Amino acid sequence: MLIAPAGQGIEQGIDMMRARSRARVSLGGLVLLLCLGLLLGRSGMALAADACEAESQWVATQTQRHFMVLAGRSDVFYDRSGPAFVMLIKATAETADIGAIGIYADDVKHPRFGAVPAATYEEFLSESRHAAEVMLRLEISGPQYERVLGILQSWDRRVRETALLYPDIAMDNILLVKQATEELNRCGTTIAAYALDWGLEDEISEHNSARRIPFEYFKRLRQLNESRHVPDAAMPGALLTASDVPQNLPTKE
Amino acid sequence: MNRRELFSGSIGECAACPGQAGAELIPNVALRTHDDVPVRFYDDLVKGKQVIINMMYAHCEGFCPMITSRLVEIHEELGPRMGRDVFMYSITLKPEEDDPAALKGFAEMHHALLPGWKFLTGAAFDIETLRFALFRHDHIKLDLDLQVHAGRLRIINDSINRWLHVAPMASKATVLQHIAWADPPKTLAQRMEDNRKQQEQIDREVERFGYRKVI
Repeated sequence: MLIAPAGQGIEQGIDMMRARSRARVSLGGLVLLLCLGLLLGRSGMALAADACEAESQWVATQTQRHFMVLAGRSDVFYDRSGPAFVMLIKATAETADIGAIGIYADDVKHPRFGAVPAATYEEFLSESRHAAEVMLRLEISGPQYERVLGILQSWDRRVRETALLYPDIAMDNILLVKQATEELNRCGTTIAAYALDWGLEDEISEHNSARRIPFEYFKRLRQLNESRHVPDAAMPGALLTASDVPQNLPTKE
Repeated sequence: MNRRELFSGSIGECAACPGQAGAELIPNVALRTHDDVPVRFYDDLVKGKQVIINMMYAHCEGFCPMITSRLVEIHEELGPRMGRDVFMYSITLKPEEDDPAALKGFAEMHHALLPGWKFLTGAAFDIETLRFALFRHDHIKLDLDLQVHAGRLRIINDSINRWLHVAPMASKATVLQHIAWADPPKTLAQRMEDNRKQQEQIDREVERFGYRKVI
């Protein structure tokens, strides 16, 4: 079944993110760096090497923290699959930039792909207590955050420009979660990985429908990375609850 | 009694051929040719045309040089049709490395600066969009493997909505046959003439080898 991407959902998601009075994700530096790299004719390999150098030199601080959250739920859509998305959080003492991209449920519980509305991702700000949900929260470095953000922004652009890579959003979402999670290990082992490659060893892809694969993938990553999961107790309290800004913003038809 | 023909006896007009759907299927991304000329992929290069598309990159030492050499042979076989009613496009898989000058150098090295053949580069985002639209396998691992994409040839005749693909390292006759399958419909007279020529070739092969050698 082919389901069109939800332009409306993206706008809604972006509007909500802006309306939350949280600072907008600042990407100017990253974009400038990429543009300069291209202008100077530097190869992708050189840029990747620079990215790893930045990661190796990065020093964690308590004033700015970065998180990547893998969130999913089953038994929501007709085929018993559900939302599954990647969320990024950058938090300082005063502000938090939050955004998520992936599959979410629209008002009539149809799957949509794109920027996830705040009301949906906020349900995964704190740890889940339901068996039908999965959440893995990882603390990542600044350079990792910037790189994953670049991937999510690229997918956001694909939705906006109707330039998705597959005719089925379930396949796009698999690629998104694969790219985002594998990016963490580009310069070294940050998380215990699972090879989501549709190969002979990939039992998740072998035994699940495409729409359910990200959920099962997140579950496996949670099992493999239990010690790396950041529990609620280790999170800034302000990041565990929904914003008090009204969520019923107008949506674009 | 007036008699009326039920059938035309010709398939040349193709009144029932579907209209072009390429605009919806083929990304109209902005690219640059090896001569550094800006083009729109669909509008300028594919719309209404019969095209042969492959993906490569200038520093590829595996498939790309072999496939490019094969395409030079195909170009030679198609002769005056190239640049008139058949066009070739080689799109880089590594746009970060391959600017127009690098592609021109690659084309020169492989004697591929030929009429109707353009080497193309562009923004990485657009090249990826194009790669999936034209060469997608619907398999996560294969779709992320650039080498896999270097080993396929896409043939499209946008005027009749015909899409085919063929392994470029198949025999030259096989590749040419696939290109011919995307040719515009011919009149009965043209088809009969083609059949006559083909029969002559078969007769020559049978006389020489004792059997029909080429498809």
